Amino acid sequence: MADELTLEELRARIQAAGLTIPDNRLGMVRKLLSDALVPVRALDSRTVKTVEPAVRFTPDGGAR
Amino acid sequence: MSDEIAYSTIRELGRRYRARQLSPVEVTQAMLARIEKLDPALNAYVTLTADRALADARAAEEYLRRGDDRPLLGIPIAHKDIYCTRGIRTTGGSALLADWVPDEDATCVQRWQAAGTVMLGKLITHEFAFGIQAPGHRFPPARNPWNRDHIPGGSSSGSGAALAAGLVYGATGSDTGGSIRGPAAFCGIVGLKPTYGRCSRAGVLTLSWTLDHTGPMARTVEDCALLLQPLAGHDPLDPASSRAPVDDYLAPIGRDVRGLRIAVPRNFFFEGVDPEVERAFEAAMATMRQLGVEVHDVRIPSLAAAPSFLLIMLAEAYAYHERDLRTHPELYGNVLRERMMAGGLVTGSEYVQAQRIRAQIGQEVAAVLREVDMLATPTALFPALPFTRALDPELGFPRSNMPPFNLTGSPTLALPCGFSSSGLPLSLQLAGRPFEEGTVLRAGHAYEQATPWHTRRPAV
Repeated sequence: MADELTLEELRARIQAAGLTIPDNRLGMVRKLLSDALVPVRALDSRTVKTVEPAVRFTPDGGAR
Repeated sequence: MSDEIAYSTIRELGRRYRARQLSPVEVTQAMLARIEKLDPALNAYVTLTADRALADARAAEEYLRRGDDRPLLGIPIAHKDIYCTRGIRTTGGSALLADWVPDEDATCVQRWQAAGTVMLGKLITHEFAFGIQAPGHRFPPARNPWNRDHIPGGSSSGSGAALAAGLVYGATGSDTGGSIRGPAAFCGIVGLKPTYGRCSRAGVLTLSWTLDHTGPMARTVEDCALLLQPLAGHDPLDPASSRAPVDDYLAPIGRDVRGLRIAVPRNFFFEGVDPEVERAFEAAMATMRQLGVEVHDVRIPSLAAAPSFLLIMLAEAYAYHERDLRTHPELYGNVLRERMMAGGLVTGSEYVQAQRIRAQIGQEVAAVLREVDMLATPTALFPALPFTRALDPELGFPRSNMPPFNLTGSPTLALPCGFSSSGLPLSLQLAGRPFEEGTVLRAGHAYEQATPWHTRRPAV
């Protein structure tokens, strides 16, 4: 998988989502997603043991 | 109204009420007149509720006559305009909801009302707490009282601007990626993002369910503590609301801070930092040491992945707005509309991986916080941007020091720690253990009292 979200990939995603994003905003959307995707694309999923996603608290209110 | 009264602390205002030197009706009338005079240049308020404010003030006077000692009694406040207010329009800063009048109050609105506050009105927010209003928008953006060519930060932009200009004594904010702390930093005031689940989100427009926090904004740390007290506590209407016992947030204010331990994470939070911000932060740490706080450096490697926060926020925001985005896209502001749509392009796998990264960050931050009482960082990497830069669509979502603590849910305080050479406020961020708001308030108050920053006023 390429590190950067390519314009072609972005257009494919827009088509799959059934959305309309004007050409003059594609650069902004690409930058927004590319920056956020860098850590995810760099992640070796097998090394991350955690599976629960969000902040959670015990019944008595403590954090865990 | 004199500046001295307009910028009074909540405790001082209450003292003057009880000494019969001032009355809630007098202060409310004077505050409404000050807003009429100054706000046209600042746009902090989107709706002024003068009749309601005067009715609240008259009721407060009656309670004061009976000896009621509630600390927020008769204190003029205002709500960010994503907090629902029964019978009063709640716009979300959006053309989509420009004339929407809710049937119910948000839980936080009810709780401040029950505490005896006086509601002056609703404060402008970035559109749906996410997108700054561009020229031509139905609602103009708030301006920074320190320099009106600069943004006040967002999304609780009206709250920050109104407090800095002395147009209110306390305000609600909400914080998904820094929307309480950013305006606090850029406007030179204090903002507290409490622990996730500490304050109810019921009746507050959603941006991102797993990241949204509500909380108070004020001009001093003690005022923040006073405003937090009635907001904190379980609310069955918010599924994320915690049943953790509510502390007395005033008790730690003024307590000695000697022996408290602060860790400064040297990775992530200083990448791209403005030199003036860095100098102010280091000076703040020197002050903390002089106060007897132990300060040392740490590294939290997983924070390098914190920008994945945006995948969670975008995907959740899209989920909330999808129907309206598809049926009424023209009612969303330019740029915001495409930002929201970007959330529809995040794959399920990417969202899950971002949540797994989040859990990893949470574990590493928690491990550090088992050894120290709090983390300290600059709140923002740079002072408030000029509108000309902030409105550039290519800016995207600038790198920020605030989202890591939305990911972890930690209680996080932003407070003034200096000024740039151009006269814009700079800010210190303190993040503590879950439900230990009292510890960051205690340290923040000690720092605030040892420095002059909270006493400076913009020329409005």
